[in-house]
Amino acid sequence: MRQFFPVEDLARDERFVQTNMAERMKDARTVNDVGSSRKSRGKSMRLTPDRHDASDGARSLMHGIMVGEIQALEGAGRTAHDFAVGDGTGDTIPFELKLDMARQAWDEARHVEISAKLSDWMGTELGQFAENTVLFEAACSNDPILRLAGVNRALEGLAIDVFTQMKEFGDLAGDPYLEFCEDWMLADEVTHVKMGSDWLRKVTEHDPDRRAKALEFQQVVDKLFSFGGARGETEESPIGLARRFRELAGFTDDEVDQISQMDHDALEERKAAVRAYRDKAGVGSVPG
Amino acid sequence: MRPTQRDGDETAAAAVRRPPVARGLSPVATVARMGNTATGSTVRAPFAPWDRRDLPGRFDVAETARRVGNYAWTEMKLFEALGGWVATVPELDVKMRFGTHCYHHAWHADLWRKRLPELREMKPERLTVPANEAMERFVGALTEPEAPELTIEKLVGVYRVLIPRFIAAYTYHRNNTSEITDAPTIRSINFILQDEYDDWRDGEMLLQSLITTPDHVRRAADHQQKLEAIMVEAGGITGSGSIGGGDDTTGNSEGDH
Repeated sequence: MRQFFPVEDLARDERFVQTNMAERMKDARTVNDVGSSRKSRGKSMRLTPDRHDASDGARSLMHGIMVGEIQALEGAGRTAHDFAVGDGTGDTIPFELKLDMARQAWDEARHVEISAKLSDWMGTELGQFAENTVLFEAACSNDPILRLAGVNRALEGLAIDVFTQMKEFGDLAGDPYLEFCEDWMLADEVTHVKMGSDWLRKVTEHDPDRRAKALEFQQVVDKLFSFGGARGETEESPIGLARRFRELAGFTDDEVDQISQMDHDALEERKAAVRAYRDKAGVGSVPG
Repeated sequence: MRPTQRDGDETAAAAVRRPPVARGLSPVATVARMGNTATGSTVRAPFAPWDRRDLPGRFDVAETARRVGNYAWTEMKLFEALGGWVATVPELDVKMRFGTHCYHHAWHADLWRKRLPELREMKPERLTVPANEAMERFVGALTEPEAPELTIEKLVGVYRVLIPRFIAAYTYHRNNTSEITDAPTIRSINFILQDEYDDWRDGEMLLQSLITTPDHVRRAADHQQKLEAIMVEAGGITGSGSIGGGDDTTGNSEGDH
């Protein structure tokens, strides 16, 4: 078995259709639908049961969660496999970090089981939506600390936000089954982010350059997942930023503020891009 | 503090409470047999009548540490392999089982690494090694299949060859070590064996559901034969004498005590 495993070789059965972030961003439907159905959604962009597209939105999000969990399982498994036991320098990782990755693999396996059952509960078929492989791409770095920054801190951090949102959605929709499951998954995600925060600090304690590089990589992934403002602290963003849970997971106030600012900038960038597109196409301006 | 017989001067009150001694039995044995409800005495035998644990065991501290080091190494190689394979198997149920079992074996490796310092090995990595060169070669052959169409081979290696060997080696160790001096090892083995049985059952059932044609049967048998041959050469997870017999002198200090 190879030491490092490329994203394009991820094994899936024939139901799954994979795509990546670059392909997704090339799709005009992804970029240009900001505010297109705003009127029917009311003032808030948050995913709430009263939105006319709530059912489809929740199903799509749950499918995205499920394939994200599959990739998180694969990524944690690869990190448990790819690096020899050592003191954390070079290509080695401490045994206890390997152990944490194995534990995360088990947790993610349960999350796949949970989200597969929830998808079924919500009436979604496996493979009904495309699978974005960006999570596993973040787990392909040759530096294990970059993997921790990209996957455990950025993407699992996003998972905290998404699960908080879905838990609220379950509560508002009167779906205790959904709320119960999201609550449990959220507990695990906080643990995973904390693992990432703790190991990042510990392994790079005497290597500030490596730490800076890892945090920079985290920012790149965070920005990618700002989804053009899809996550943020205002109601204009479909997914909220779960400050409290992020703090529990080892983020400092400054770090959460930084992500919040990044989300805000991404939303403004996207709104400007949409305005420019609409002006050019002569379809009128976007409110807000 | 209440005076005891060990202090050498039995008190008058204790003498009054002393239970009647049955013919041919020591006072302690009499109490253990009779119980103390009638007299109110708290004197009990150190081993209850149903506690049949024995002091002697086949392994001294050094031999126990050697075996534990081999377990730690092999469990680690197994959890690494299962973690690495998760991304390579297209079958969703197998993918999730590999992820789950990956942690079970990581936990076993951790238990053994933590046991080594208790066995006077302060550098666990020194003993966290394969039993011999053949065992190292076995792990190389076990982890060789990577392509997505080789799920049967991956499962056969783990669930029809390696895990049965783990069950055998752990069972032998548990049944031959001192039940008193090496109780911590026995406790870990008992936890671990429960995982091994459950995981073996999971893996075997996955295999039975995947082996559906004569070609599948041939593939499973061929791979099992290939791996078994290397494992036989290795003599088992801890080398010759993994389950007793064989050459007990290969790097161990086993002997009847």
